[in-house]
Amino acid sequence: MHSVLQRGNAILAYALSVLAFLTFLCFASTVFLDYRTKADMNTVKVVVKNVPDYSASREKNDLGFLTFDLQTDLSSLFNWNVKQLFLYLTAEYETANNQLNQVVLWDKIILRGENAVLDFKNMNTKYYFWDDGNGLKGNNNVTLTLSWNIIPNAGLLPNIFAHGSHSFKFPIEYTTSRM
Amino acid sequence: MDFLNSIPTHMDFDGQAKAEKYSRVIITLFGAVGLIWGYIIQQFSQTVYILAAGFLLASIITIPPWPIYRKRPLQWQKPRSTDSNETKKKKK
Repeated sequence: MHSVLQRGNAILAYALSVLAFLTFLCFASTVFLDYRTKADMNTVKVVVKNVPDYSASREKNDLGFLTFDLQTDLSSLFNWNVKQLFLYLTAEYETANNQLNQVVLWDKIILRGENAVLDFKNMNTKYYFWDDGNGLKGNNNVTLTLSWNIIPNAGLLPNIFAHGSHSFKFPIEYTTSRM
Repeated sequence: MDFLNSIPTHMDFDGQAKAEKYSRVIITLFGAVGLIWGYIIQQFSQTVYILAAGFLLASIITIPPWPIYRKRPLQWQKPRSTDSNETKKKKK
């Protein structure tokens, strides 16, 4: 502490140590919170087509089209250690080839301070619902679930599954008309 | 360069101890207040800003050698002649 530079160094080092400790307390104050909440979803229109997947093998694969409703209130999830939520809607189903297929159909980023009360009607999916074969036609148990990834200031990046899901069936016939 | 060297930077030992103690107290206090305030309004950025304010205040108060850190300079003993030193050594 005998020179200006030494004093400056000591103060800066101590301030940064305190900052690290405060950040840890911020993390510790939120790490045991339950971030699950209820989400209601429903499918409106569901069709399946059999078209060539040019992005992969050019073979004809099943491509599902659906529109969905989604209602949920996520404003209770935000606190001083949540910067944003990354929502994603996943379809899960079983086929002869795979016991578990998971396809992300839609996602959304909600920054803190934005409107977190979601009420979507008849939304289109953002991403293609490709199957890797012919597992969608007539599939009678496809489950939609909503999940979110919490982006914190400090700490873990948990993936949370919402309470509530929706199961639906794909029609037993391909749709051939343009949509 | 002469101008830079002419700026006084010296603190006495007592002042150095005081400066360190004050800086620790100020930064700890601002950190604690910032944590509480940030938790109340649920904004961690406010905690960081308050800590930064504490850092600036501590820098202003304890980095420059203010007069309160120079109140107790070391009292050096008067220089003695070498002759008397030698006689002492012989006595031992």
